[in-house]
Amino acid sequence: MAEVRYAEASRAYPGTPPVVAVDSLELTVADGEFLVLVGPSGSGKTTALRMLAGLEEVTSGHITIGGRDVTHVPPRDRDIAMVFQSYALYPHMTVAQNMGFALKLRGMPKETIAERVTEAARLLDLEKYLDRKPKALSGGQRQRVAMGRAIVREPSVFLMDEPLSNLDAKLRVETRANIAALQSRLGTTTVYVTHDQVEAMTMGHRVAVLKDAVLQQCDTPRTLYERPTNVFVAGFIGSPAMNLYTVPVDEHGARLGDLVVPVRRDAAAGLATVTVGVRPEALCLVGADEDGFKLAVELVEELGADAYVHGRARLADEEQRVVVRVDPRDPPAIGQTVRIGVRDHGEVHLFHPDSGERLHS
Amino acid sequence: MATLAPPVSGPAMPAARQAASPRREAWQRRLPLTPALIFMIIVTQIPFVFTVIFSFQSWNLVRPHSQHWVGLENYANVFTDSAFRDALLTEIGMTALAVAISMVLGIGLAVLLDRRFPGRGVVRTLLIAPFLIMPTVAGLLWKTTMLDPVYGIVNYLLRLCGAAPVDFVNQHPMASIVTVLVWQWTPFMMLIVLAGLQSQSNEVLEAAKVDGAGAWTTFRAITVPHLRPYIELGVLLGAIYLVNTFDVIYMMTQGGPGTATTNLPYYLYQRAFLGFDVGQASALGVVTVAGTILVASVALRMLFTVFATTERRA
Repeated sequence: MAEVRYAEASRAYPGTPPVVAVDSLELTVADGEFLVLVGPSGSGKTTALRMLAGLEEVTSGHITIGGRDVTHVPPRDRDIAMVFQSYALYPHMTVAQNMGFALKLRGMPKETIAERVTEAARLLDLEKYLDRKPKALSGGQRQRVAMGRAIVREPSVFLMDEPLSNLDAKLRVETRANIAALQSRLGTTTVYVTHDQVEAMTMGHRVAVLKDAVLQQCDTPRTLYERPTNVFVAGFIGSPAMNLYTVPVDEHGARLGDLVVPVRRDAAAGLATVTVGVRPEALCLVGADEDGFKLAVELVEELGADAYVHGRARLADEEQRVVVRVDPRDPPAIGQTVRIGVRDHGEVHLFHPDSGERLHS
Repeated sequence: MATLAPPVSGPAMPAARQAASPRREAWQRRLPLTPALIFMIIVTQIPFVFTVIFSFQSWNLVRPHSQHWVGLENYANVFTDSAFRDALLTEIGMTALAVAISMVLGIGLAVLLDRRFPGRGVVRTLLIAPFLIMPTVAGLLWKTTMLDPVYGIVNYLLRLCGAAPVDFVNQHPMASIVTVLVWQWTPFMMLIVLAGLQSQSNEVLEAAKVDGAGAWTTFRAITVPHLRPYIELGVLLGAIYLVNTFDVIYMMTQGGPGTATTNLPYYLYQRAFLGFDVGQASALGVVTVAGTILVASVALRMLFTVFATTERRA
């Protein structure tokens, strides 16, 4: 149980110019919190996790675990447990030996090790496999062994590096829920890395979005979704992605083709254009006499509970792709031209056209 | 008639080709191999058959016209021959020592080479060099430039330290031979172990680090078990080659002093080409081949389980 804090922590690789993998990361993970680091590949999320594990050097700044500065402490003295993407199980050891290895190294008596391993195995439904070698296990079972190896140590922080990326889709959803449940049951501070924003949103108490080595925003999934701090977060969080267009703005509002979205005067003061973000579910089909813009339907994705219409519209003198969520019981046909309006003007996000920062509206 | 001929032969031809094709295909595969096969039979199998025939005869080249059949007498002599037993023991000791020492050194060098440092490529090439030198040359080189009591480098260094010169080849013949074999075979072991080290997953090593293992514990508990198949492979291949050591012994000690460094191949050579006892030497050869086949087939079976486990792991 511990609070984790990155204090202006950076990792730069020598070179000319030096390659910065994590740039002045300032982040606090509360005791017992499940924090997800998410971002596209190359964003520095894995490096940030490895810095916390002690596998990657911190070139400037500090990292503390439970108030103790661990910046230059070797991994084994940090009281952490890590689950690797490849699981990194010891191939020549049985499941029980894999799970008990760390305890054995600590010089714990055999009975205590066996007890703890059995307990963790029960928790993860691995009791039947304790005598098997990793190569005789399925992907999902290996993943659980990796989890078990972390659990038996009862560390103050769990670190997980994309632990679900080698599982098939169905198992991933199932394991996702299991990990989240396990974490809340154990109450151990957890830092979890993923590139999958759905995983981030469903598992994390808070989600930290990274891009190009810089932390963009760290907040609850709901806040990230409802108030993204910039264009990148807006486009990265949510599936299908938010529709983002840079369009002209005047005293009436921003012009999405024929549709005028009202903009508060002070928000867009002095700007000729503004980047408008509308999620697919904030758009809807409207009648001919209502405010809206025309959309040529190119594709309809029917997912059962929802249907998404993909199409092209002329916005700000440019052909743009638009995704709209519609009632799955009555989707438009491909090739048809429909009229699209905004469901609720409160759900329209405005960003600065150049910096991409959110405009306060 | 002539106009009818093509349509008739048209459908008939493919049918004929089809019938011939499996056979033809088989021969198409065999044919390129045949010269090698014939060559192999000429240079190995036919001489072996002659050797078996000679082994039932008493035939010494020193006494012409003495050739006659003696049945199994030569074989009986082999098993009562104490020189044969000594040679066998020398053989086992020499091979085991050379393989074991070169493997231990090879593991050490491989571990050192498995990390990045400036000039790694040059160091690696230099370390491999002894393996590329002909055994005859290696033997000569060590006997003269390195170990010679008068002008050898080792004795020069010893003299610098104030020690009396040592005639290594005569005073410690076995140690001298083993040294040369180890010098030649360490690079081979190093390469195999290095391949093993580089195939090890970095994440596994990191997991061990996070689990609390220090450098030595990681090596002992994680790396060595991972290297086991590679070590087995190195020991096996090394042993197969080192059992046949002849050149180095011929160049350095001629099997002596006395019979201190006479191994089986050298003993055979002595009986056949210095004693001209063709019959007895043939029997020795047949027994040696039989023994080698026995050991090799056990070894090969082991080798295949090594491959099987690496395959399963992959």
